Amino acid sequence: MERDREESVDLAQISLRPLQLSDVDDLMVWTTDEKVPKFCTWEPYSSKDQGIDFIQNKACEFLWSRAICLHDRAIGFILMTSCSATDQSREKSVELGYVLGSKYWSKGIMTYVVKQVKKVAFREFPHLERLEALVDAENVGSQRVLEKAGFHREGVLRKYLFFKGKSRDMVIFSVLSTDLNHQD
Amino acid sequence: MSNLDLSKISLRPFKLSDVDDFLLWAGDDQVTQNLRWKTCGSREEALAFIRDVCIPHPWRRSICLDDRSIGFVSVYPWSGDDRCKADIGYAVAGDYWGQGIATKAVKMAVPQVFNDLSHLVRLQAFTSPQNKASQRVLEKAGFLKEGLLRKYTYFKGNIKDSIVFSFLSTDEFPHDD
Repeated sequence: MERDREESVDLAQISLRPLQLSDVDDLMVWTTDEKVPKFCTWEPYSSKDQGIDFIQNKACEFLWSRAICLHDRAIGFILMTSCSATDQSREKSVELGYVLGSKYWSKGIMTYVVKQVKKVAFREFPHLERLEALVDAENVGSQRVLEKAGFHREGVLRKYLFFKGKSRDMVIFSVLSTDLNHQD
Repeated sequence: MSNLDLSKISLRPFKLSDVDDFLLWAGDDQVTQNLRWKTCGSREEALAFIRDVCIPHPWRRSICLDDRSIGFVSVYPWSGDDRCKADIGYAVAGDYWGQGIATKAVKMAVPQVFNDLSHLVRLQAFTSPQNKASQRVLEKAGFLKEGLLRKYTYFKGNIKDSIVFSFLSTDEFPHDD
């Protein structure tokens, strides 16, 4: 990852709001960039229809989601899904996912956003016990985001996922409702 | 300590005729306390459980001593994109604890499971941090302990920590001791 020293970002200009259809052109910037979904299950988008489909049909299916905005322009996306979708015994757990345009990497933006969303999660879902995130073992940048945002690294789940033709070791992180009482 | 000849331990599918032996251990709270199973309260319940759950199960075997059921090993594969992984569980009748039977059964099951489930890459197991005996079974069977997952799951009405272990299709089987 390159450090773009010419353009630092005033984090006070970062905001979260629901994704709208009018964000589609901004969304296409990060969804067509090969670097961005490298560790995601999805392939880079090749048509605006995919962007429209995501905003209209997919974004609303998440338990919670927001566009990450700089000066109210969407530069990324953050979401939460309920773990009970795949496992009924895990209804008190929620999984965090996020994506950011590569131009905005390494500026502390994602860490800043995750810190906010961590607090939002336990406020929005008062019965939530555990917020977790799974990161590809090769995605060091994203692991650093979670560590700096106060998540506990619990271990590496070997060959936990299989996508884009290969098995992935996933690092699992968590933050508990009880952790928050001892943090910022 | 063990006088039991472990070569008498075998794995096979459940049969309805296992019901009386099944009830001995599936009806024992000590055995089911670490399982998601409800303790079987009657012969009828046991029969229904064998017929409706054990027999149609994707991969469940009776652990047998001289062909009599004294426990089970189960593997539940995930579906769709997640069929690269499956969860393993097991239990042995209380009278037979401490003799290496569960370890032997798991060691027997692992190569069979990877042979039977074609997309399987990762066999995983979740144990309670308090259940040291079960953790030892997995370690002796060659599983790798990956970490402690805090407040991971709801178990019989309470939120619990889980220790996660895994055995991959590429892992080496441990030597028989």
